[in-house]
Amino acid sequence: VSSQQFSALTEVLFRFLTEPKEVERFLTQLSDFATVNKISLGPLKNIVKSILLVPNGALKRNLSSEQVRADFIALGLSEEKASYFAEQWKVNSPTLTRLAIGQTLMINQLIDMEWKFGVTAGSSELEKVGSIFLQLKLVIKKGSQMENVYIELTLPQFYSFLHEMERVKTSLESFS
Amino acid sequence: GPLAQRACPGLAAGPEEAEQLVSALHNLTRHVVYHGLTRAEDILSLFPENFHQNLKNLLTKIILENITAWRNEAQASQISLPRLADMDWRVDIKTSSDSISRMAVPTCLLQLKIQEDVALCGNSPVLSALTVELSKETLDTMLEGLGRIRDQLSAVANK
Repeated sequence: VSSQQFSALTEVLFRFLTEPKEVERFLTQLSDFATVNKISLGPLKNIVKSILLVPNGALKRNLSSEQVRADFIALGLSEEKASYFAEQWKVNSPTLTRLAIGQTLMINQLIDMEWKFGVTAGSSELEKVGSIFLQLKLVIKKGSQMENVYIELTLPQFYSFLHEMERVKTSLESFS
Repeated sequence: GPLAQRACPGLAAGPEEAEQLVSALHNLTRHVVYHGLTRAEDILSLFPENFHQNLKNLLTKIILENITAWRNEAQASQISLPRLADMDWRVDIKTSSDSISRMAVPTCLLQLKIQEDVALCGNSPVLSALTVELSKETLDTMLEGLGRIRDQLSAVANK
């Protein structure tokens, strides 16, 4: 594989790593590469599989780019190609890190919040009421399913909730 | 019911009469609370013409003293969606996970204590706790939404 071909292949690999959902596009690009360069797809896929293991392992073990380069040389790549790949990895690592963080376990993640408020006009006990209520709908991801939670708040509760959430924001910002 | 039975001995009345009395009192107070009557004249006019004068005044006085408490209780126990009873939060820093060995990502855990419909639970409230995790981005979006609610509330209040 020439160095031009190698850098083209590397580009395809990193585009997939930074957008892991684009599986079909990745496979199409791989088979295009195989056809253009007259390589058979089967062996190419195997090589790509081993190459892909390196960036993922690097994140899990928090490797530096020198260590990534050394890993590739151990895999049998030439020094030049290994350095090139390690460079590309360094450039892409912020994106890859962010993706890995995004995959990290979240418990009952809050996905969405909808709200409405209105006035209770009357009830079976009271002919005229006129009290304001706030209704929140929280969409929560429990495992792989979404759950809707409905809660009602009085106005004082709402202001107190808002105040607490602002305190949380300050706290989160001080740790960023 | 139990109230009538307890009242019987003190009233020197039979159980049936006591029941009628409690029932009548209950209807009277419910009527006053429902219609939101606040003036003595309105309550006095509810009594029949030949009703004992002093008793009428005494009852009206007692009802007026209690009306605010009764209205508040009616409002507190009306049907509603589950209500927010309490909330607590904490901020954690995530330091590593199975997909990445080193990071420092702050995250918020919010615990909401929710009380199921008061009208359904009566005297034994059912309280459930829901713990929700928010990333910084989610929190920012939520605060945007809460800010809009606050602005709308001010607009309504200033009308």
